[in-house]
Amino acid sequence: MLGKLKERSLQKQGRVYIALAVCLVSFFVIGILGRLLYNLMANEKRVADKLVVVSPHPVSFMEPLINEFEIETGIQVEVISCGTTEAIQMIEEDENVDLMWGGSVLTVGPYKDDFLSYKSNASDCLYPQFKDNSFNTNCFTDVPSVLMVNTDLIGDIKISGYEDLLQPELKGKIAFADPNKSSSSYEHLVNMLYAMGSDDSDGNANGDTPSVNSEKGFEYVNALLKQLDGNLLDSSSEVYEGVANGKYVVGLTFEEAALTMLSAGKHVRIIYMKEGVVSTPDGIYINKNTKRADDAKAFVDFMLSYDTQVYVAQYLGRRSVRTDVSNSSEVLAKAQINMIEVDRDFVIESREKWLSEFSDIEKKRRD
Amino acid sequence: MASEIKSFQENIRKSFIWYSLTPVIIIVITAVVIFISAWGISLRMSTINENEDIKNRIDSAMNTYYSMVDKVSDIVVDSEDNNQEDKIFATLYRATSNYDELGELIILDGSGDTVFTSGESTYPFLTQRGMNNWGVWKMAKRHPDETNTILFEGKLFIVKGVYENDKLKYGIFYIVPSEVIRNQFKGEEKSVLITDSLGWVYLYNNKALLDDFGRVDPQLENASGYTIIDGHIYYGKRIDSKKGISVYTISDVHRSIRTIEVIVLIIVIIFIGIILISYRNADNSSREYTKDVKKIEQAFEAVQQGDLNVSLNIDSSTEFQTIGRDFNQMLEGLKEEIAQNQELAENAAFSQVKQLESQFNPHFLFNTLDNIRFMAKIDAKAADKMIVSLSGLLRYSIRETRDEVTVQEDLHNLQLYLNILQIRFNKRFSYSIDVAEEIYDCLIPKLVIQPLIENAIKYGFEGRETLDVKIRGTQHQDNIIFVCEDNGAGMDQALLVELKQQLEGEKNESSHLGLYNIHRRIQLMYKGDYGLNIESEKDKGTLVRVTIPKHR
Repeated sequence: MLGKLKERSLQKQGRVYIALAVCLVSFFVIGILGRLLYNLMANEKRVADKLVVVSPHPVSFMEPLINEFEIETGIQVEVISCGTTEAIQMIEEDENVDLMWGGSVLTVGPYKDDFLSYKSNASDCLYPQFKDNSFNTNCFTDVPSVLMVNTDLIGDIKISGYEDLLQPELKGKIAFADPNKSSSSYEHLVNMLYAMGSDDSDGNANGDTPSVNSEKGFEYVNALLKQLDGNLLDSSSEVYEGVANGKYVVGLTFEEAALTMLSAGKHVRIIYMKEGVVSTPDGIYINKNTKRADDAKAFVDFMLSYDTQVYVAQYLGRRSVRTDVSNSSEVLAKAQINMIEVDRDFVIESREKWLSEFSDIEKKRRD
Repeated sequence: MASEIKSFQENIRKSFIWYSLTPVIIIVITAVVIFISAWGISLRMSTINENEDIKNRIDSAMNTYYSMVDKVSDIVVDSEDNNQEDKIFATLYRATSNYDELGELIILDGSGDTVFTSGESTYPFLTQRGMNNWGVWKMAKRHPDETNTILFEGKLFIVKGVYENDKLKYGIFYIVPSEVIRNQFKGEEKSVLITDSLGWVYLYNNKALLDDFGRVDPQLENASGYTIIDGHIYYGKRIDSKKGISVYTISDVHRSIRTIEVIVLIIVIIFIGIILISYRNADNSSREYTKDVKKIEQAFEAVQQGDLNVSLNIDSSTEFQTIGRDFNQMLEGLKEEIAQNQELAENAAFSQVKQLESQFNPHFLFNTLDNIRFMAKIDAKAADKMIVSLSGLLRYSIRETRDEVTVQEDLHNLQLYLNILQIRFNKRFSYSIDVAEEIYDCLIPKLVIQPLIENAIKYGFEGRETLDVKIRGTQHQDNIIFVCEDNGAGMDQALLVELKQQLEGEKNESSHLGLYNIHRRIQLMYKGDYGLNIESEKDKGTLVRVTIPKHR
């Protein structure tokens, strides 16, 4: 009886030891895990304190501007790089994404309801065509569509406009991205429809009364797609990088990309289409659901400020939207380019139609 | 908590496992936990300490540069001096001589023209148009007459805008030689990032911690503690210097965690080995240690079964040796006692048997003597025969001291008895004896058949003129069976039941002594299923069967 009792108490003692050990161990483990979790959560929270910007701009373009903005205002910025379409989607879905920086007004226009209306304090200094605020946008820079050729590969082929792209020697050597995916390609599509579909068959579109014969324009698109030989690319960067590194001879891209390639020492040349160049501004769009509207507005003001616009024009190869900022010496003055003025409302309205028509042609081509 | 009782060996085995494994497991787990905690703490401490050290070293370098810039600004302001350039160079060299690198000092006037430069390089962001309110210049202008740090285009500038009458007179720009700062954390095992106050990285020794923009990964920013980046766990510490610089020291915990995982895995494997071995060992040693207990158990079991001839020989340990010796002694004692008891019991039985044998029926003696007196008058010859027979009977009863006699001897005695009965009842009584010759030599208790005839006469004559008694003796298997059958009056059912009940009992107080005595004697002498069996039917007769083990 006594022995049994003792045995039982021994067992009990053992259990107490084990319970103690388990307690000790779990105490440590919980402590460590708890600390880790707390840390992780605290860090997560910190990330959430930043101004979140989605942008299709290349990183090298954004870096100095973001840096300067942070120094100037002390507002820290988190940048998410992605394509225009994806950026719009993020704005629509995530209220933590405060603003979208970049994306042409023509492409983003249809989504104007997603954006906060704000008129920058710099708007008095802008060219009149960039003052229009009806799409809840502030124009940031002016981006003409251009052709970029690789000067080492072009040889004797003469290219001065869209028409020249149809030369049989260039078959399969043209870089063009899907307008459904790339905003700069969509600009080119609009440009083609205006330049090649114009009733004015010599291509000398008259600035003040632009007209579009889309049927005629799509005839050209069809011919161009045939020239692509199936190489419809997925993003605008594939276009300018493809030309710069010699994968393609000529690409349909935008002026800034071509200038960036030039300043990087690539052997490329910019060609402004003789049939006409559409230049559409890209904008800065504030998410209407943003919780940091003040920071977002400060961002817009900073980007449109004189100093920033000077820097952008001088070093980043973009045309300023401000009247008091002159452009880089590397770009051709607008007066020397056959500019086409488009009816923005009409283009925005027709966007869906044109894109689906393009897709149809492209699909037919593939089949 | 009702649990079934387990064997001693099982209990010992469990205790072995319980008391050998548990402490080891607990100690090892505790050790691992302590090890991990100590490792974590030391990681933390070393990260924090190194962070502090690097920051202090960089601060001291930066202080030197700050004071140098301030001195230079004093020299520049003092425009009277005509060998300004020499003085500036002297200050510059004096300040930087400890660091082996001169760096680059550029002084521009308010309109952007170069006043002084220590190197040959030109910087477009300092001199080009449109840049005089951007980056470095902006810093100089925003904080008039203050010395500040700015990271611009990958270079760390110490900037001072010298103002006179609210007008920018000079901009002093010193490009800190990155080698000097880099040397402050050279050879550092941990990841070190030197950033400006906004998190833009100036110098680093681990590119993985930077984002696409060359900023600190947002997860690490302001992080003091553990952070996960791309599935890697880091322990980071940031410290801000007053000179506009932040120092991050980051330990990659991931690899250590891998190491710990491997260690834990190895420990687990070792444990599994230990557990397996312990189980086997516990099995073996428990069997070994409980071997003696098993022996004891078997000995007790044998005794329980009635085998008293076991002995317990254990010499593995003194305790069990004592138990074994004592058991043997006890068993010896027990055996002795049992033998004594048996003797006593036998003595008792013997005396009882003697007593039972000696109960010579006085009625018979009386009747016989009465008959002899009567016979002496009418037939002297018969009387003589009766006297001879009676004396033979008495001699047999008294002189014969053996318990057992041969069948033949007892039959001879029976004949004497039957002679007396024959003379006494004359034609009323007839008998026949049929005993197989092969059992003549067998031993039976003496006077075993006579009481049967006595019984037959006692009940058989009731209301009858004649009585025939048949005695048969046969061998059946290993037994000798005597049957005494008469054709007399028989017994009624009640009497028969009473008789049978009396035979079962150990004592008899009734008058049916004859049959009971035989039965009792047989049972005392031959333990087993031997004795009397009575069958009777009213008016038909009685049959008594005696069963005795055959022996010689």
